[in-house]
Amino acid sequence: MIEEPYRWVEAIANRREYIEAQLAPGSPIASLGYRDGILFLTVGQTRQKIFEIYDRIAMGAIGHPGDIERLRMAAIELASTEGFTRSATDVSLRRLVHYSLSPVMKSAFEQVYGPPYLARMLFAEVGEQPEGDLFLRVEYDGEIAANGATYAQARRDFAALSGTQLSREMMEAFLASHHAPDANLESGLNSALDAWSIGHMTLQTSDAKEPPEHSAVRKHRQEQLATAGIEAAVLERDTSRAIRYRSLSDSELRPLIHD
Amino acid sequence: MDRSPVAFDQNFSGAASDFPALLRHKGLLAPAAANPLPQAGTPEKTWQPTEATTILAFKFSGGVLVAGDRRATAGNTVVYDRADKVLEIDRHSIMAIAGVPATAWEMARVLEHSFQYFRRTQLQEMSVDGKVRALSKLLRDNFGFVMQGVGVVVPIFATYDFHPKPDARLYFYDAMGAQFEVTDYAATGSGSPAVRGILYYENNWGAKPLQELGEDEAVSIALRALDTAAESDTSTGGVDRSGKIYPLIKIVSREGITTLPENKIAAVFRETVA
Repeated sequence: MIEEPYRWVEAIANRREYIEAQLAPGSPIASLGYRDGILFLTVGQTRQKIFEIYDRIAMGAIGHPGDIERLRMAAIELASTEGFTRSATDVSLRRLVHYSLSPVMKSAFEQVYGPPYLARMLFAEVGEQPEGDLFLRVEYDGEIAANGATYAQARRDFAALSGTQLSREMMEAFLASHHAPDANLESGLNSALDAWSIGHMTLQTSDAKEPPEHSAVRKHRQEQLATAGIEAAVLERDTSRAIRYRSLSDSELRPLIHD
Repeated sequence: MDRSPVAFDQNFSGAASDFPALLRHKGLLAPAAANPLPQAGTPEKTWQPTEATTILAFKFSGGVLVAGDRRATAGNTVVYDRADKVLEIDRHSIMAIAGVPATAWEMARVLEHSFQYFRRTQLQEMSVDGKVRALSKLLRDNFGFVMQGVGVVVPIFATYDFHPKPDARLYFYDAMGAQFEVTDYAATGSGSPAVRGILYYENNWGAKPLQELGEDEAVSIALRALDTAAESDTSTGGVDRSGKIYPLIKIVSREGITTLPENKIAAVFRETVA
């Protein structure tokens, strides 16, 4: 039945709807470039969502833990063998995502008799200069969104990942207007927390036109931080050491938060 | 099996058991030499201890000092006078090598990637025991080549252990992969008998035991020991006075690894050795 083209399209549409529904409750992850590197941040999660992939590459993901784990292992395996056989500088996020992950995820998504990957991922690679920072969002169907400039959009120094498109767009709109790429860690952290709060607040709504009021965002943020922990990591721009990934502890970050 | 880099299968159930296994699966690392016994028709004894160099390490008040001379030889020929035999494996681990450079450097590279691969996939640092064992396994896998007369490596491994009690740790190995933890000092390579003599003497009857030495005192003893080894061993470079080439000295401590700058080593050399 599914061999008929129309049935195939219908099956794909059903599958898309199913996956979107599965991913919808996923708590947001905000990522932004700042003066000394790239910050990844999420709040209040019971399992780890931000991971080290290679020397200069990190990943954040929402979705099914089993699928995230398979994709994460594959990315580490590919990066590690490339880094071993050639060199660490030959490991590139662009190649990893465009040539390896995206085609596999697309195939899994479109082969309607097999299981798709229930995961949405955000990768970042720290550059020597802020202009060299690369953010790539990879969807469950292999679709890739980059932070580079296009005719419709200026280059971005941030990226967001959330359960729904609306929530993600709200986060992006906030970061576009409130985040400066030369910010220090402290102000980057506060922008990321605000962006996370906006993303989290708009997860439940489907018709919001305007982002939430600033005071409402602050209130939501305080309520969440009162009980939940912060999960964060940075990719440091410091070229004196090879491994740039460093996870930041909740207690390390609390003193930097402005309430 | 022809395995495209993207075709991770649907049964993928976590990380490959370890990084060398992953490399072998992808055909990127020579298989472990399975039969270390001499084959019929080969000379009875092909392996000569030819690890022509001198490497030493000892604990002092600031952690573990690891030093190596810079000479690389092939038979009676000096092929290189700026070889690095003291290699950083991760933020707190050093592998110093005596033996065939090609094998040793490859081993260091596999080891470095193994530790990182473990941390990234398993989301925790490999234990010191695990790291020590990983090097042991690489040596064991290599032993077939050693028996064929190529590829002998006899390393020293120095690291800092945070669990359960924070302390610097020092190990030496034999070519088969047996590991020995030492309390005070270790030396390997062709010049090591002289070095062991000096370190034993200093530790027992010197001005103070090695573990109580300050950094400059420790550097001074390392330089004197390597110079002594070079005096009778042609394969050890010691200190090249005319070329101004000094041994490579690194220190492992709680804070990580420090590579001593050459001008500092030169200053200690001028004041206490030359």
